[in-house]
Amino acid sequence: MGVGRRYGAGGPWVLRDIDFEVPAGTLLRIEGANGSGKSTLLRLLAGIDAPSAGRIVDRPRTAYVPERFPAALPFTALGWLTHMGRIHGLGRAAAAAAGRDWLERFGAGGHARTPLAELSKGTSQKVAVAQGLLGAPGLLVLDEAWTGLDRASRALLDDAVRDRVAAGASVVFVDHDPRRLAGAAGAGYRVEAGRLTRVPVPADAPAGPRVRIEAQAPPGGAHLPPDLPGDPHRESLPGAVRLTVAAAHSDALLRSLLTARPPWHIRAVTALDPRTPGEDPRP
Amino acid sequence: MIPLLGYQAALLLRSHRWLPPLLFYGAVMGIGVQGGQPVLDSLGWAAAALVPVAAWLVRVCVTNEPDAARNCSVAAAGPRRVHLAAVLTGLTASTALAVAGTALVAAIGDPRSADHRVAVPVLPASLAGLLGALACVLLGTGVGALCNRPLLRSPAWAVPSTILAAFLVMFVSGSPANAAVTGLVTGSRHGTVTMPLLPLALAAALAAGATAVACAVSARR
Repeated sequence: MGVGRRYGAGGPWVLRDIDFEVPAGTLLRIEGANGSGKSTLLRLLAGIDAPSAGRIVDRPRTAYVPERFPAALPFTALGWLTHMGRIHGLGRAAAAAAGRDWLERFGAGGHARTPLAELSKGTSQKVAVAQGLLGAPGLLVLDEAWTGLDRASRALLDDAVRDRVAAGASVVFVDHDPRRLAGAAGAGYRVEAGRLTRVPVPADAPAGPRVRIEAQAPPGGAHLPPDLPGDPHRESLPGAVRLTVAAAHSDALLRSLLTARPPWHIRAVTALDPRTPGEDPRP
Repeated sequence: MIPLLGYQAALLLRSHRWLPPLLFYGAVMGIGVQGGQPVLDSLGWAAAALVPVAAWLVRVCVTNEPDAARNCSVAAAGPRRVHLAAVLTGLTASTALAVAGTALVAAIGDPRSADHRVAVPVLPASLAGLLGALACVLLGTGVGALCNRPLLRSPAWAVPSTILAAFLVMFVSGSPANAAVTGLVTGSRHGTVTMPLLPLALAAALAAGATAVACAVSARR
């Protein structure tokens, strides 16, 4: 409803007449040049700033992950996460358990007792990301949260974001990598000259390794189960089908084929080189 | 609200930023309060010293959380509640000082009037001293809330304004803190104890108003 934001009463409008909705269970990508107002928009969505004009309504419990987290706080990593979990409504024991769990998932379990001020840049960022995830918020706002994370942690955060969306939460993110969460984003918006315009999201670009599965149809020629995990690319073969899917979804896809009624027979599973999708099975 | 208060309290304790205001209060008490002095005079001094201390503790609490961490807690709990928790943490800390200071003065002060002739009942005097101290704490908290972020963000404005406002609140006649302290000191001349209930009520209202303004503005910046 025409949300705007400017800094100072006479300042220029950083954002003007923004009117958009974040539906539950969607992933929204925000893009724009440096200084275009992306971060301002995310801060408004997260409730950190109030709009100078207009209103934001019906915000669920929100978590925000900043791009850099150089927090000189007098807590250990786990101590701070426990406090944040409590602020997100968890009990003390549940907050500590969730904090420990997320640190371990990001490979930072060994730093649970390290004071925040002594953590490396990357580990600090993992703590900030764990803070965003441990409360299972209804709205997760990620302002370039992947910056500073190692490769494995970036992939883990991608998965965690997909899980949040699958669980019915909304996730809004900004990231430099145009292929970040490609295929998973429900909508994309571009901030330009203080306005928000809808832009197409990149299709499911093969950002990671892919897996090709050849499955033989059960006798009687059954149809493929509906809603195959990972929305695989399909090629028909005589009496069989060749499915190509992101490696992250391959296990679920296999399970879905094997547990179909009647079950499909798996003939071959091949890992594909990420740079040449659909071609040249890896030797 | 309880988790936020626990977080802010832990932040204050572990940051050790409570130490300078505590030492300041100790120094002021050392200058103005000695064993054997008329108890009501000392209680007045102990209460007045709490105005700048309370304002300082509020400043410490509302500036204690780094921006990156504050953004995270504000997203989770909202800016008003995060700011309210910070102000209340400062208020709690200075209330603890008020209780300790009053107890100390009641223990070492001479329970007689200023000329040491008329006996002053210790318990009513201590209660009056505590209420006066609370009035000063509340007014100092209001000063701290209005003179720091989010209303005055730059230390160049916030620190001098806090000091100036704290002294105005102590010395300008008509201010509830001044009335509470004057009541204690005047009572000491005749050995009479008057409960500073009206100053306390006014100070509470002013502190609540100041905190409400600061919390309302906290979302805007």
